[in-house]
This record gives sequence, C-alpha cells and structure tokens, in this order.
Amino acid sequence: MTEPQTKRQSYWRRILGQTFVRWGARLGLFWVGVLAFLGVFAPFLASSFPLLLSQDGELSSPVLEYLQPVDVLFLVAFITLLLLIPLQLTLLRKLLALAGVLAISAILAYAWVSPPKLVIYEQYRVAEAQGSYDWVLYAPVPYSPKDYQRDRGESGLEAPLSNSERTHWFGTEQNGADVLSRMIHASRIALGIGFVATGIAMVLGVIIGGLMGYFSGVVDILGMRLVEIFEAVPTLFLLLTFVAFFGRSLYIMMVIIGITSWPGYARYVRAEFLRLRKQDFVQAAEAAGLPLSSILFRHMLPNGMGPVLVSASFGVAAAILAEATLSFLGLGLVDDPSWGEMLNQAVKSSSFNWWMAAFPGGAIFFTVFAYNLIGEALRDAIDPYLSKSG
Amino acid sequence: MLLSVKNLHTWFRHQGRTIKAVDDVSFEIDRGETFCLVGESGSGKSITALSIMRLLPGTNLDRHDGEIRFQAQGEASVGLTSLSEAEMRQVRGGQIAMIFQEPMSSLNPVFTIGEQILEAVQLHFPELSEEDAWARVMLALREVQLPDPETRVQSYPHQLSGGQRQRVMIAMAMACEPDLLIADEPTTALDVTVQREILRLMKALQQRTGMAILFITHDFGVVSEIADRVGVMQKGKLVEVGQTEQLIRRPQHSYSKALIAALPENLARHAPHTPVSDAEPLIRLRQFQIHFPVRKGLFRREVDRVRAVDGVDLEIPRGQILALVGESGSGKTTLGRGILRLTEPTGGQVDFDNTDITQLDRRQLRRFRRHMQIIFQDPISSLNPRLSIAGIITEPMKVHGIGENQEQRLEIARDLLAQVQMEEDALWRYPHEFSGGQRQRIGIARALSLNPSFIVCDEITSALDVSVQAEILRMLLDLRAERGLTLLFITHNIGVVEYVSDRTAVMYQGRIVEQGPTADIINRPQEQYTQQLIAAVPRVRF
Repeated sequence: MTEPQTKRQSYWRRILGQTFVRWGARLGLFWVGVLAFLGVFAPFLASSFPLLLSQDGELSSPVLEYLQPVDVLFLVAFITLLLLIPLQLTLLRKLLALAGVLAISAILAYAWVSPPKLVIYEQYRVAEAQGSYDWVLYAPVPYSPKDYQRDRGESGLEAPLSNSERTHWFGTEQNGADVLSRMIHASRIALGIGFVATGIAMVLGVIIGGLMGYFSGVVDILGMRLVEIFEAVPTLFLLLTFVAFFGRSLYIMMVIIGITSWPGYARYVRAEFLRLRKQDFVQAAEAAGLPLSSILFRHMLPNGMGPVLVSASFGVAAAILAEATLSFLGLGLVDDPSWGEMLNQAVKSSSFNWWMAAFPGGAIFFTVFAYNLIGEALRDAIDPYLSKSG
Repeated sequence: MLLSVKNLHTWFRHQGRTIKAVDDVSFEIDRGETFCLVGESGSGKSITALSIMRLLPGTNLDRHDGEIRFQAQGEASVGLTSLSEAEMRQVRGGQIAMIFQEPMSSLNPVFTIGEQILEAVQLHFPELSEEDAWARVMLALREVQLPDPETRVQSYPHQLSGGQRQRVMIAMAMACEPDLLIADEPTTALDVTVQREILRLMKALQQRTGMAILFITHDFGVVSEIADRVGVMQKGKLVEVGQTEQLIRRPQHSYSKALIAALPENLARHAPHTPVSDAEPLIRLRQFQIHFPVRKGLFRREVDRVRAVDGVDLEIPRGQILALVGESGSGKTTLGRGILRLTEPTGGQVDFDNTDITQLDRRQLRRFRRHMQIIFQDPISSLNPRLSIAGIITEPMKVHGIGENQEQRLEIARDLLAQVQMEEDALWRYPHEFSGGQRQRIGIARALSLNPSFIVCDEITSALDVSVQAEILRMLLDLRAERGLTLLFITHNIGVVEYVSDRTAVMYQGRIVEQGPTADIINRPQEQYTQQLIAAVPRVRF
C-alpha cells in the first residue's frame, strides 16, 4: 500500500493504462485520433466555401451556411464526447448519454439545418476574382471533395504540386477534384462504417451470446445453431446481393456488415458467461438475491467484455476493409468519396497515376494497421499471463 | 553428507523492487534421511528447491549465489552451481529427481505414461537396450504399487486418478534411482486417504533404496508423519532447524512458536457448546437429492445421472455449527449450494425455520435469500474484480431495503468491516489490492451484510495459511456467539472440524454415512468409512 492513489483505480483504467504504454497502441491511437479529427472537422479543413469573408464591411461564413445535418451531427458527437470523458460516470452511462444526445440532435439537425439546395462551388472563387470581397479566409485545403473546378477548365489528373498556380497537395483525380480533400471527407465513412457496423455486431453478439451463456440448455443449443447459420453466410456476397436489390447506401452496408459479423462476438460472450456463471462472485450475487439485471449487467458483463473489445478492434478494421472492397468493386456509394472508390478510380483510368493509388491505399493500410495494433495491445493487457512483463 | 547448501541467496527484481525469495539459507541433508522444509505461502520453500535443481526462471533474477555441494553414491562431491548446463542435466533426474504438487500438469497429456517413464530411463541409462529399459519401467511402476501395471503402462495421464498420477510421477523419479528426491507439496492436491498411501509409499521406497528426501510442505500433520528433521522458513529465511519431535514440541524461534500455536489442534478451545439435543433445528433436510443428468447424442437424451447428493437427511440446530466432512467428489459442496438453491435440487425438501424453500418461486426465493448466505473457498474469484468493496457490500443491502439511503448503508458497511477487523478505508479499494486472508474477511462481511441467520462456509480456510486460518476461525466463532449464527461448515480438515464445530456429518458418495456430536465422530467413529477417514488424517503428534 505504498502508493494508494495510483492503486485505487478501476479495472478498465488499469487495462487502458497497460494498453497504451505500448508504443504500437499509442501509434494506433494517434492515427485513429488524427482520422477522427479530420472526420469531425472535414468541412472546415477541406471546403470550397470560405470559412469567413467580409463583403462591404459585413462578415459572413459560407461554410456554416452550407453545413449539412451530418456535419452538425459529427460536431455534436465530438463535443459531447469531450464533455463526457472527464465526468465520473460508468462506461455504460456515458455510452447511453452519448446515444441520447445524438438521437436528439439528429432529429433537431434534420428538422432545422437546411443548407441551400443549389451548390455552386466556384461562386466564391469567381466573386473573389472579381474583387467583390474585402477579404476572404479559406480552409487549409480550399476545395470541396465534389468541386470539379469547372471554372478553371481543369482537365484533372494533375500530379501532386505540379501546377504552379494552385496547390493540390495530393494531386487531382480525372474529374479535376482535389484528392486530399476527397480523402479527408472519406475518412468519415471509414470511421463511421467501422464503428457503427461493429457497434451493431457487438450489441447483437453480446445480447445473444449472453443469453446463451447465462441460460444455457435449450437456449444455448438454439443460439449456437443460429450462430452457425450466420457464420455460414459469406458477408461479401450478401453485400453484393443487397446492393443489387436495394441500391447503394451507406446505411444498408453498415447494417449488413453488422448483422453478419455478430456470431464471433456471441461466441466470445457465450464462453465468458459460461465461465463466469460458475465463478464464486456470481454465485454470491445470486445468493444475495440480486435481481437478474444486476447479475447480468453489473457482475457478469463487465467481467466478460475483455475478449469482446479485443475482437471489436479487429472487427472495426475488418468492416473498413469490407467497405473498401465494395467501393473498389464499384458497388460503394454513388456520389460520396471513399478510399476504396478512389482506388477503383486509380485502376480505371487509362494511365497509371501513382498519387491516386498510393494515398488512399496508404490510408486504408494505416487505418487497418492502427486498429490491429490497438487490438493486439488490448489483448496483451487483458491476458493475465502476459500482464507481468512489459 | 549428501547435500549441503551454504548461504544460498535467490533474489528477484520485480517492478523495481528486490524480492528476497531465498535469503542466506544453509542446511544439510544426510543420506537416507527425510528433511522437511515447512513454511507459509511465499516463504521461499519452493524457490529453494528450484535453486538446488537450477530450474529458476532466468529473467529478472537479481542475485543468485551460495554454495550447493552434492555428493552422489561413490562419487566425488561436486558444486552444483559451477556445473555446466549439460553436466547439470545429468544430475537432474539421474541423481536428484523432483516431483511436483500438481501431477496432471507435470505429465505430458499426449504421451502414454510408459513412454514418458521410458524417455527418462533412456536419457539417464543410454547403454540399456530397449527391452531392458522397458523392464525397468515396469519395475518402477510395480514398485509404486500402481494397480495392474501391464495395462496402465499404455494409459494416458487423463485416464488415471490424481493419486495414480502422483504414483506415476514417483515411478518416473525412482526409475533412475536418484540419491535425492525433492518432493514439492506432492500430496497437497490429494485426498487424505490417498495422501496417506502416497506418504507410506515414499517411506517404503526410501527404506529400500536409501535415498534422501527433501520434502516441502505447509502441513505440520504431514511433517510429523514423514520427517526426520524439519526446517522452518519465513520470508526467505530459514529461521529454525531441528529434529522433528523436538521442533514441534519445543519450538525455539518466535515464528515457529506462532506457527505451531496457530494449528487448529493447538488453538484454545472455546467454551463448551450448547447442549446438542434440545435446540430446535433451523435447517432440516429430508431425502434431499441433487442429480445431474448425463446427456448424449443428437437429441441430448438423458442416458445416466450423476448422483451428487443422493437422499440426505440432516438437521442443523439453531445457533450451532455443523461440520460437513468428506473427500473430494463426495458431494459436500453441491449439498451446501443445494441448500441455498444455488444448484437446483432435484428432489426432497429443505425446511428453513419450517418453510420449505424448495417450494418457493423465484420472487419469493429472492426475498428469502437474505436469511441464508454463503462464503466461498477461493478468495480470488469470490469478489467481483470490477466493483469497489463499498459496492460489493452495499449492493445486496440496497436490494433488500436495508438502510434508508446510501449513507446509512455505508455506515453499516463500515461497522461490518470493523467486525471483520479491517480498516474502513478498504471501502474505496478494489479486490485486487487485498491479500487472500483480507479478501476472505471481505467475503464474510458481505455475507453478514444481510444479517442472515444461516451461513454456508464452503472450505473457507483451505486456501489460507495456518496463521491466517486461525485468525479467521477465531473471528468466525466470535461472530457466531455475537449474532447467534447457524453455520454449515464444509471442510476436509479434521483439525478445523474439531476446533470449530458442534456436530459433524461425514459424507461419502452423495450420502451422509455418519453424523453426531463432533467429539463422538472423531474419537469413536462407528462406520468403517469414517474410521478410515479419521485414521488417514495426518495428525501432529508428539
């Protein structure tokens, strides 16, 4: 008891501490943090609309005018997270609070935020060239992902920094849009699909696996058959079929990846619950007459979540890869940029343009790598046999 | 002198601190004698043995020196620390053999026992032909009295019982005719009757071959059964060495004195128990049974039943302690959990204060649970690692409406911790910060938090050191007197039974074979099984 302050921490704080002393996990976390930052602030980082301009002595912010409801949601989620982290609440309560805030702000955002329907990307550039503004402040990358720069008559496919008039850090694609801008906006899809699809899979897996593990017997037998049926379904072909039937939608993709990958989590949770069921502290909780909800959610679930979280961090990587694969095959989103779709463009064009393959490919690689690093470190931290070293 | 250890130091570094596992230990073992190293967990007895065998883990070793001289039959004395790894391998197994506590994990599950012994024999006698080596294997198996050795030699470890596996381990050690056998708690995982057979076997082998035994144990009963001389270890130091009889009768060092005084046999008896007969029973079991179905096949048809508890009639008088003794697998734990309906009974009736609790539905049972609690054996798994002590103790109170608000419940929790002799700041800590004994106290506080009238104590002291065990037992008796508790005390330790219980029931294969006042059962057992069991218990004599 030499250092009571540091010793008096909860289990998860200890595990996270052990996870993130490893440099691999730190690197992974850093990369995911960068992506999250890019995703949340994409409209302010890469946009054809000026952040701030002064016209005839009046200030206005076109970026804010053109903000989409989705952009608002991302910002709200980010701010809520920042506010929640220092609060003394359990993980479950924090998640519930986040979900609640998101639901409310989603309703509000879609009801009230109404950006202009007609989007003319070049209007501010043209107006600036005509000298109608006192001064203009642009985003660091002054091109929207779908700004094909018609006003400049660009042919597209410019190598990075090859044009002396305009700076395209990562070059442009064949329609003339800025590659860096597209990549920044695409990081949202990568993050979103990873988290939402894995979230769906985890919720399903934990509920079904938990029921199988706690009640065992007939519930377990039926559940395991269900697991086997779902494991037999190849995700990619199901996705292809669904895309063919229902058209291309990000949400359908998330749901499908989610509902085909829960069996893995269910298996983990089932095994953990079967083990925990026999543990003395669960028996003690039962002997104390605690209600079933407390036994399941307070005593068993937090003790059984370790392996689930580990596989979830690998699951996020897998979901990102699945989306990239679909987009690469040309079955991704129609209009919005995604890394896989950008790779597809690189392959389709008649000449090989390295910047169109290297940057999105590298982004996919690093993101998947980052999640795998985190998952690896988390697994080592949770494994009691390894926790002594390092 | 066969083995002489001089100024042995084995220190480890762990998280920046030096742990003196073995600190300046010196002793000698003569040919043909049995030397016992005894001490509580963490005293460094096993590390001493591993240091002699040079089987220490290489990492985070901080200091490892001292002189270990070993003189085999008809050979010059060698310093084991200066041998090369190849020479040391010749010594290991050939001249010094070792057996461990857990015979299952020390045998390789994918080879038959014959192959494993054969390998050891061929390694140390490469000149032997295949046939001679096999003959030696069979001889060794016969020597350890493994029943039906011709068939058993083809068995895999999982097909043998714990006692048989330990015999195989001994056979493997003996096959190479070592001069010294190091036995690290070889009988701790075994039942008392099996333990007695193994101890007898080791003694017989020793008399025939003249080997010396370094026997490591924490059990003074075993010590007085087998040892010629004893060394007591405390925190890495060998504090006292002496002839067994002398040391147990007249320990010199203060630690040895404390250790021997803490044996349940030596604890001061409490006041005579309340008369056994006239107390009204609080718990009455009638034809109580728990059968587990064995299911097989596609449709999981029930093909057989395991009769864990098979028709038990038992009464526990109010305010008394009933000890339930029996060997592993006799169904005593299942019985204890069945009374609380943690394991669902399949037949019979449990009357608690004239309420048949097998008839309660889930809701009624949940409310009823505050009257009956349980304390577990394993102090590690009995507390939820994710909850603070405050959470662990107050949650049951909240559910049962004890205390009006959290403040009051915390106040009660503080009182409970004081009763189990813990500091009140323990409330805000997590289970991993406590030692085994402290956790067991917290487990007791949790059980008491609902103010129950009946508690099942399931082997609550068997994972603890004797000194801690003595404290816990004393505390439990005080609490019993204070609160008028009725206890079902499940244990295999006859010394504890004698110390703590008013009545005793002996369980064998799911049935109660004998029950009665404790003194009668222990001193005048009537049934044959009870007689065997009591006789097999190693007692501290002299």
